[in-house]
Amino acid sequence: MKLRFARSLILGLLLGSLAGFYFGWIRFPPATRNSAISDLAQRYRDEYTVLIAAGYAADGDAAGARERLGKLAIDDISLYLRRSTERIIRASARELDDIRLLARLAHDLGGATPLMEPFLALGGPDP
Amino acid sequence: MIPQKSSADESRRGAPSYFSYAVFACSLIAGIALGLAFTRAYGPLQRGNAEPWQLRADERHHFAIAIALEHAHHGDMARSLHKLIALRPAQHPLDALADAACVLGSSGYLRSDSGISALRSAVALYTAGGRAGCAEQLLPLSAIESAPDPIDDQASAADFARPLPTKPPLSEGQAQATIRRLVPRPVALRSFEARAARSTCDASNPALIEAHVVDYLGRGIPGQRIRVRWGDQADIFVSGLKLDRGDSYADFQMEEGIEYAIDMPGAADPLGASLSAGACYSGNRRLLKSWRVTFVET
Repeated sequence: MKLRFARSLILGLLLGSLAGFYFGWIRFPPATRNSAISDLAQRYRDEYTVLIAAGYAADGDAAGARERLGKLAIDDISLYLRRSTERIIRASARELDDIRLLARLAHDLGGATPLMEPFLALGGPDP
Repeated sequence: MIPQKSSADESRRGAPSYFSYAVFACSLIAGIALGLAFTRAYGPLQRGNAEPWQLRADERHHFAIAIALEHAHHGDMARSLHKLIALRPAQHPLDALADAACVLGSSGYLRSDSGISALRSAVALYTAGGRAGCAEQLLPLSAIESAPDPIDDQASAADFARPLPTKPPLSEGQAQATIRRLVPRPVALRSFEARAARSTCDASNPALIEAHVVDYLGRGIPGQRIRVRWGDQADIFVSGLKLDRGDSYADFQMEEGIEYAIDMPGAADPLGASLSAGACYSGNRRLLKSWRVTFVET
């Protein structure tokens, strides 16, 4: 009898907690405002990176861009830019101008790759 | 003879002997409640699924500045507004940007050229939208234009005789003879303006006046006297005494139901509005409002 009770209790609590965590964290995350920029979802991390890349295109301040990208809590900014830009190029996840901005920033911060070269070589006004 | 329960009987009832559906249902509900309570208590899972509007205030300020930087590149107001609105500000998005610029400008953001450039972008964006804030006064260019010439020998003797806050009063003759020679004029002539008084609802610091004294570059200035008056009483507190909070910081504990006036004696006029520790709500908790006041050197 005791074993029957314990087995049902533990299984119920386990499944219930998993369901609670799923709904509380993933399906309906709490509407609190206590996240850091580094906690942003990938889509918004890309958005933030494009904002910084556009700022860099405007002011040419590489140190400032590096400092602002540091908010994403990444160890190697050049590597991050390289991977992000290549992923966005492969997935066509952003507009052409955004990719040009990212490629330019990646290039100037030491993260350019052959995949970015066409975007760096594109004619027209500075992105 | 007592009839024995057979397994056929139990299967007919639908509950095998090794499991209790009633206990399982109750514990399942309890588990869901526990899981939900835990996620509510500890906020979003740190797994990179946050949206910009879920950023905490200081991080939202940086995100807003990044939007302003982008605006400096493409100049598209509608696009920038759209992104600022995505931060779900409690006020007009450009006012929120102005506040963000003001807060950052008052907290050391202007120590680097990058910070100055970023705040210029923010000021350009919100002034283009017809808004105003304190950041335009904090930026060094405007400050330099409006700053008095520190070696102007034509200044009046009254300016020189203004006592230093930390000095004891001097007799009239001493003041003329001593202060003119020994006291650096920029320090003696410092004056401030109270700006950016904002209320906060913080459970960790209820009913607190947080004052910050900064120069026009946003650098904290220690040793500045701030006066709080209520009724017929007054108290003085001094910036920079709490080393862990920086040179600019000073605070004063309020009591509920009392209205306080704040100024810097001899250096800044009183803030236009009085401050009081009224009720505020954080979640379902009733707290007492705190205030953050910034005195900016003029």
